[in-house]
Amino acid sequence: MTDQLGALTTIFTEFYYWVTVVLMFLIHVGFCMYEVGASRYKHHQHTLMKNTMLIPLVTVTWFLFGWWIYWAFPTGPGLAPSIMNESAALITDDSAFSAKWYVPNSDIMAVNLGDHISGVFWAAFLLFSWTAASIVSGAVIERITTFAFGILAIAIGSVFWTIDAAWGWHFDGWMLKLLGYHDAYASGVIHACAGGFALGILAVLGPRIGKFSSSGEPRNIGPRNPWLVTIGLFLIYTGFWGFYAACNIPIFDLGPEYGMEGVTYWTATNIYVTPTTLSGITFNFLMSLSGGLLAGYVVSKGDPFWTYSSGLAGVICASAGNDLYHPIQSMIIGMIGVVIAYKMHYWVERKFKIDDAVGAVAVHGYAGFAGLVICGFVLNGYPSSGYSVGAMWDGTTYAAINPLGMFIGALIMFVVLGFIPGWIIAKILHGMGKLRIPREVELAGLDYDIMEAAKDDEKSVASSS
Amino acid sequence: MAVTNWIDHLSAKEVAGAVYPGVGSEGILVLIAFVIWIGWHVIAAKQENDKLAKLAKRRPSSNAWKSNVTDG
Repeated sequence: MTDQLGALTTIFTEFYYWVTVVLMFLIHVGFCMYEVGASRYKHHQHTLMKNTMLIPLVTVTWFLFGWWIYWAFPTGPGLAPSIMNESAALITDDSAFSAKWYVPNSDIMAVNLGDHISGVFWAAFLLFSWTAASIVSGAVIERITTFAFGILAIAIGSVFWTIDAAWGWHFDGWMLKLLGYHDAYASGVIHACAGGFALGILAVLGPRIGKFSSSGEPRNIGPRNPWLVTIGLFLIYTGFWGFYAACNIPIFDLGPEYGMEGVTYWTATNIYVTPTTLSGITFNFLMSLSGGLLAGYVVSKGDPFWTYSSGLAGVICASAGNDLYHPIQSMIIGMIGVVIAYKMHYWVERKFKIDDAVGAVAVHGYAGFAGLVICGFVLNGYPSSGYSVGAMWDGTTYAAINPLGMFIGALIMFVVLGFIPGWIIAKILHGMGKLRIPREVELAGLDYDIMEAAKDDEKSVASSS
Repeated sequence: MAVTNWIDHLSAKEVAGAVYPGVGSEGILVLIAFVIWIGWHVIAAKQENDKLAKLAKRRPSSNAWKSNVTDG
């Protein structure tokens, strides 16, 4: 960096993403607290360890291949040509945003004085990956093996959400061009996808012992530590601020970017490089959170567990279009998402005997899916990209946002990249006998040995004093 | 190559961005990372299998854990 203004812009952007990473770390702290609070005493420590170990597993694999996938797959491959090299193949050429630069042995995947952005941008996306895996973690507590969860966490965190991000969350993604897909703060690319993935696993994994009576009636296994659940969800709310900020580019000149001769227009943009403001999305974050809480309180008749979760579901539902909505639209969309998520949770539970221990499929999957569909109607006709505007299925230009494209996009996120891979991998693990812990251990408690050892330690200390 | 003098390094005609030890050996480091990653799964899975099998064999009752709650 040789001029001061360029250096300031670069270092501001570097610091901006770094701060979002720190904030987003709180999402994971929140998920850990939430899950432990929701689990029963005899499973607490294993529940915590399972969610903790996804951190290194997803991080290492994100470094080795997850980040490369994001940059290589925007074209499908084979579905729509890249605007950078006009090829529909994997983007691995010498162009500026090619996956070639993000292989793990690249010299910019390290301390490099010539590159201030790759590491913090990599980390911001990595924290999204943790979130995707952590969403799944809550749904499967108290009966999945840590081995199976590790494999599934890598699959969702470093492969499937990455593919959907390349397709629908990259400025060059084929879903923008063919479908007019728009998902500014990840209703679909994180939440619907991870929720669908969790549902696919749950369909194979089965319910916790005792969850359903012999006549098939569901029994409530409520949170054992509601205070930990509360703090956990508040921390997830807090981390979500970082998530929103990380989905933006903080400062960008759109004039030359869009090829507008003589125009200079500095602004913040969303992930698609279309203009928005940090100020505007702050309105919408808080109003959709509020809408979710208001609706959750009423629909659950004041149940604290669902009310808190509904705040999150409200944000998730409005997230697809929160770069452009009016705050009151965000609030209403958040409310609609919560009602859908809550009703769907209990309907699916009764109908298909699905035991989603923390309501993750509902809060993330159903609310995210609904948010995408609603976005297609509310933002109907808005451009999905600033680079060009064209027709659906054209492929060489970008389709405008529309209800059909968003509905298809929601199906791709929830079913194609979520439910189906989750179901298939869980089936394979089940076939290997590696998916579920033995019945005897589930009844005794995963922490039985640890607790027994602690009791023995206590006895020996007491007898010596 | 390791950096031994920052003045020389930063005043070079073309400043080398990569400053970590062993520039050029990234491929070997990646291979090592793969081995560590896969190896971890193998070891951790074996440990978990053994632990679960041992506990399953003992078959503690579903309320037995309560006698293991420490007093403080």
